[in-house]
Amino acid sequence: MLFLTKLAFKNLVRHRNRTIFTSIIIAMAIVIYIFFDSLIGGMTELSYETIIDYESGHLQVMAEGYWEEEDELPLDNLITVDEGLLAEVKNLSGYKASLAELSFSALLSNGIDDLPVIGKGIIPEDFLAVFNLDKQFVEGDIFRQGEYKAVLGKRLAELMDLGIGDYITLLVKDRNNSFNTIDVEIAGLLHTGNPNVNQNIVYLPLELARQALDVEGQASKIIIRLEDKGQAARVAEELELDLKNKNSRLAVYSWEDLEAFSFLGAAEMEKKVILTIILVIAAIAIINTVILAALERMEEIGMMKALGLQNREIVYTFVLESTGIGIIGGIIGIILGLATVWFLSVYGLDFEALYGIDMASFGLPVLGKIYAVWNPIAFIEVFAFGVLVSLLASILPAYWAADKDPVESIYHH
Amino acid sequence: MALLELKVVRKIYKQGQIEVPALRGIDLQVEEGEFTTVFGPSGSGKTTMLNMIGCLDKPSSGTIIFNGRELNELDKKELAMVRRYNIGFIFQSYNLIPVLTAYENVEFALRLINKYNNREIKERVLNILAAVGLEGMENRRPHELSGGQKQRVAIARALVKEPVLVLADEPTANLDSSTSEEVLKVMLKMNKELGTTFIFSTHDPLVMEYARRMLEIRDGLIAGDKRREANAFSD
Repeated sequence: MLFLTKLAFKNLVRHRNRTIFTSIIIAMAIVIYIFFDSLIGGMTELSYETIIDYESGHLQVMAEGYWEEEDELPLDNLITVDEGLLAEVKNLSGYKASLAELSFSALLSNGIDDLPVIGKGIIPEDFLAVFNLDKQFVEGDIFRQGEYKAVLGKRLAELMDLGIGDYITLLVKDRNNSFNTIDVEIAGLLHTGNPNVNQNIVYLPLELARQALDVEGQASKIIIRLEDKGQAARVAEELELDLKNKNSRLAVYSWEDLEAFSFLGAAEMEKKVILTIILVIAAIAIINTVILAALERMEEIGMMKALGLQNREIVYTFVLESTGIGIIGGIIGIILGLATVWFLSVYGLDFEALYGIDMASFGLPVLGKIYAVWNPIAFIEVFAFGVLVSLLASILPAYWAADKDPVESIYHH
Repeated sequence: MALLELKVVRKIYKQGQIEVPALRGIDLQVEEGEFTTVFGPSGSGKTTMLNMIGCLDKPSSGTIIFNGRELNELDKKELAMVRRYNIGFIFQSYNLIPVLTAYENVEFALRLINKYNNREIKERVLNILAAVGLEGMENRRPHELSGGQKQRVAIARALVKEPVLVLADEPTANLDSSTSEEVLKVMLKMNKELGTTFIFSTHDPLVMEYARRMLEIRDGLIAGDKRREANAFSD
């Protein structure tokens, strides 16, 4: 077997150009995977920040069962924001800020057109303390407490042909299913990396929203910002336990639980698609290489059989040779992948500047440059995958070659 | 007991619906240590018979007994083992492995039989290469050798494991007459010294001069079987 191993590796240099060419095809497939993996990692990292910073915070406290029906923005399952609850929240370890938020469905009207939106009643000081939105105002600013003003996304404003100082009307249904309207002046326009904030949400003073919805002293949830997002899961668990002990019917969720990250599922799917493409590319390259090698070495295969080699030993030499090509391709791919990720982690990739694409408008919660993220596991996985595919793809053509009739092979009939 | 016995061996190839008989019922006995040539016109069945004897092909009917074993009863794996341990092949087109040196091509046959340690392998390979006149050329690859030198490597590869039988299919077809003679002398020497049985298929009159037994094959049947005590070598 050792001699056959030596022979297999010597065969790698036999058709150097073919070996290099096949290896490069495998390497390219590997680099493409590493490229996408690192960018998806970068997007994920960035999207965590944008969703935490603009929409979810680190923790959310809400009534039990609210989470399941949140999409409908119900008004019959709200929490009462009392001093006791706020004190409990403020005593959390790593507490930084909190915000009582009242979310509701509304129909936004500019006097001509209507558009369904999500209204959010907030306290401006708390809002800016919990979310990093103060630098995202492209026009105007946040309203002050008591003002009959609102803030919305610039994209939504453009859709409705609205600007600073314009008046809007929100048609809402209150807790008793009675229609009501809220008339406010636009105080500021936001543009964030979060498409939901940009095109679906209208922020207005909490008290104004409470009056219109007839939910005095209540809110949909309390959003909490901690010093460190890494603490969120543990603090959420502690707080929920603490609230349960006080017979409170409240549930606590950390940012990791939030459905807002459903795009990560799409990213995972994308990775699987790329892996499948690698599988197909590498397999075709390897099958092609093995068949070409077998056709060229037909007499040699016949001679090996005459020497007494069994089919499995001949298969072994071909499979090992292909595995060698996979290893070479893998090493080249990893080296190029390291260079690619290094470059993208330092200089980033600005889709907007490169292609004029606003990623946020595609629903990706990303704004500005995307920086690649190092993921050593992906390097190991894709290397192993490339080598494994090379090995497996060669087995059938190698059997085809080894099973040739020795007489036909020797005399090349 | 004969080393090799063929009993009414037939081989029929099918080309579509047509059956083409290559061997029509060969009866033959070959004793150990024979130096035999098989000659006859192209298509007479020489190579087919050698392939049957060498376990590379199976007869359509009849029996082949080699070294006391009936080959018809062996499966693919067992036939491979018979070839590995007992038979050496020399082909007209050498069939050396281009990525291996002369030394490694010969070493390959010994590594397969798993019988010798590294020191013994080295000693045997170097000795056989010296015996075929390739001393100092051990590290050359096939493309760095002449036709005669390549054939000598192929002979060394066939002989190094000291098989009981060597089958040579037109071994001198690609060689000039002086190289052919050199190669034949090497084989005859092995035949005398080691008692190896040789069966050649050939058109070459020079090979026939060296043989002690000459089998003529025509239309898939043995048409003549001559023996002689003296040959070119003994002269």
